[in-house]
Amino acid sequence: MALTFDYQGGIYPPERKSRSSQASLQYAPLPARVTLPLRQHSGRPATACVTPGQHVQVGTLIARRDGLISADVHASISGTVTQVSEHAIQIESDNLDTRQPLAPLDWRETDALTLLARLDESGVVGLGGAGFPTQVKARVIERHAIDTLIINAAECEPYITADDITLQRYPGEVLEGAQLMASLCGAGQIVIGIEDNKPEAIAALKQAITQSRPAPITLGVIPIRYPSGSEKLLIKTLLNRTVPSLGLPADVGVLCHNPGTLLAALQAVRDGQPLVQRVVTLTGEAISRPGNYWVRLGTPIDELLAYAGLERSRLDKVVQGGPMMGSTLETLSAPATKTTNCLIAATQSELPPAPPASPCIRCGACENVCPVQLLPQQLHWYARAQEDDKLERYHLFDCIECGACSYVCPSHIPLVDDYREAKSRLRHQRIEAAKADHAKHRFEFRQARLAREEAEKQARRHARQAQNRPGAASSTEATAAPQADLRSLRIAQTAAKAAVRKAEKVLAREAQQAPNESHEDLEMQLATARENLKAADLQLAQARQSASAPEESP
Amino acid sequence: MSDAVSLWGIISAIGILTGLGVGFGALLGAVSERFKGDAHPLVDQIDALLPQTQCGQCGYPGCRPYAEAINEGDALNKCPPGGDATIQALADLLGREAEPLDGDAPEENRVAFIREAECIGCTKCIQACPVDAIIGAAKQMHTVIEDECTGCDLCVDPCPVDCIDMRPRSAPLTQWQPVMPFTASVITSDRSPAGGN
Repeated sequence: MALTFDYQGGIYPPERKSRSSQASLQYAPLPARVTLPLRQHSGRPATACVTPGQHVQVGTLIARRDGLISADVHASISGTVTQVSEHAIQIESDNLDTRQPLAPLDWRETDALTLLARLDESGVVGLGGAGFPTQVKARVIERHAIDTLIINAAECEPYITADDITLQRYPGEVLEGAQLMASLCGAGQIVIGIEDNKPEAIAALKQAITQSRPAPITLGVIPIRYPSGSEKLLIKTLLNRTVPSLGLPADVGVLCHNPGTLLAALQAVRDGQPLVQRVVTLTGEAISRPGNYWVRLGTPIDELLAYAGLERSRLDKVVQGGPMMGSTLETLSAPATKTTNCLIAATQSELPPAPPASPCIRCGACENVCPVQLLPQQLHWYARAQEDDKLERYHLFDCIECGACSYVCPSHIPLVDDYREAKSRLRHQRIEAAKADHAKHRFEFRQARLAREEAEKQARRHARQAQNRPGAASSTEATAAPQADLRSLRIAQTAAKAAVRKAEKVLAREAQQAPNESHEDLEMQLATARENLKAADLQLAQARQSASAPEESP
Repeated sequence: MSDAVSLWGIISAIGILTGLGVGFGALLGAVSERFKGDAHPLVDQIDALLPQTQCGQCGYPGCRPYAEAINEGDALNKCPPGGDATIQALADLLGREAEPLDGDAPEENRVAFIREAECIGCTKCIQACPVDAIIGAAKQMHTVIEDECTGCDLCVDPCPVDCIDMRPRSAPLTQWQPVMPFTASVITSDRSPAGGN
């Protein structure tokens, strides 16, 4: 068993996991209609590639990934496409549940590129909650050396038991999926991070570990504490490596995957089954049959809850995700998506509404529980005062929004809401600034182009004049002025040359550092510099001509 | 004797210090002359605060010329697209008094839209666009690239057939929208049920 390391902060909220972890994993009934959003992952939404009326089977590609960070979406039931909107695709079931699988692959015999392509065309994304496309994560080795793959089974949020049940039911397959991902990213070892409140899953894993090849697997059982399942904290706890501020786990040679994701990746490769279903925890006191269910993506949430025995009279609100970080749903007609790991149908007494916030009394309780060692109080003041430079200096963007500070706050201040608001404001500002910069570069490019065109016109006019009246025009221009002009033009041309060289250098450096990103702005700056150089060249040539003309003519 | 020495000491000290002062002064002067940059850093800073719509509503042909004018003492309040936020930022940067905006701030982010059926292909709007956001050719239909359009509405006036509208910019779901800022003090009875705890 791996040695575990400690981190500061964290809280111990009531777990409330037993209700859903008692029942065995079941299949939710096939929905009559599914609504599949085009954006169930982080990144850009997928582009629909079906039309209304088209017949689809389970696993038919209905929306293609758009851009680098995006994921394919597949039909989760067989039937007819009824509606394709800007945001979602609706499919009416034919109740036949016919499948359209891809060809099964043996990952041990298949090369990495084929496997990555398979993960790509199966639409597998991280099922822990963020929904980052798995194939993009696997490609991280193009820039970082990875030595360890962590299976993040901590599941520290109250209520959720989806990973627990997945590991109890499919321990061997999850480990096989981990071996697959480890071989893809070249990780030499696999570490499982699991909280000690899941004895059955731990027992199942212990048995499965003995048969798993080839990478050695260590089981890291960690004590219960919220939020130890946060990627960076888990890496700290298991490996004693600290992910740098604003950095990624890959910066310290680690990749984290959720057990559900590993299972989905294995099913995509071994069975050729795209991501069309996932395990969702349905729990809360307002439902009578809590448990974990295999749910087809796109199933309406009210249908799911009704199947689990929802008592509408007791229902107060439905929370998607955990009670700490999840969000209250506005409408129950929303579909379950790739990132829906838990639905809590809570009664009024179970998750009571937060009491009204009082002013901060500077007790410092939030600082003691912050797992990433920020100063929540200071951030709170600065967020409310919109002091943006101070927010950045106090590392607002390292906040993992775990909600521990709000949980312990004796004044019931919704601190995390402040941070989210401030983060969104800052992100928006950055986007606006980038746009303004882009517009500026386009404006400069246009100015440079107009100047070059003007210079070309001048040059042509000059040449025409020289042709028509050889020697005649020059006598009037033979003064000292062109000489001084020539010098300043020569300086301008040298400066333009230097600007082109600088722009080329910057572009080359950026292209080397981030080969996959678009450098449109830098390319435009280079083009602008080139236009400027051309204009300067033309002006210089013209000035030289008019300067040398008087010497020749006499 | 000692008086004479100290007098010499005083004179030589004054001499040396003066010499050093003159020497370093000359060196600094020569260096600043030798490595003088063309770019005006303050103009760059002012330019960075302007919204870069290149709309010309300030009376200058683009944001950079206005930045140069501000540096030479022009008023800060001539930029309607930037609004009060830009005026405030400029006032902070330059240590001047913030003035109320001269003109009306646009209520929303807008883009130009060409009603393509009515376009006669005159290319007048293309010539007017400061950021090359309109594509088309003579006697061919023109259209606006929405992502590149800054909403400056300089293309609207030149159009001989009035086929250009300013429409609200479409915001994709993926784009970050500023979250509604909460009200500072909430009366208990007005409070909506809060999510989480």
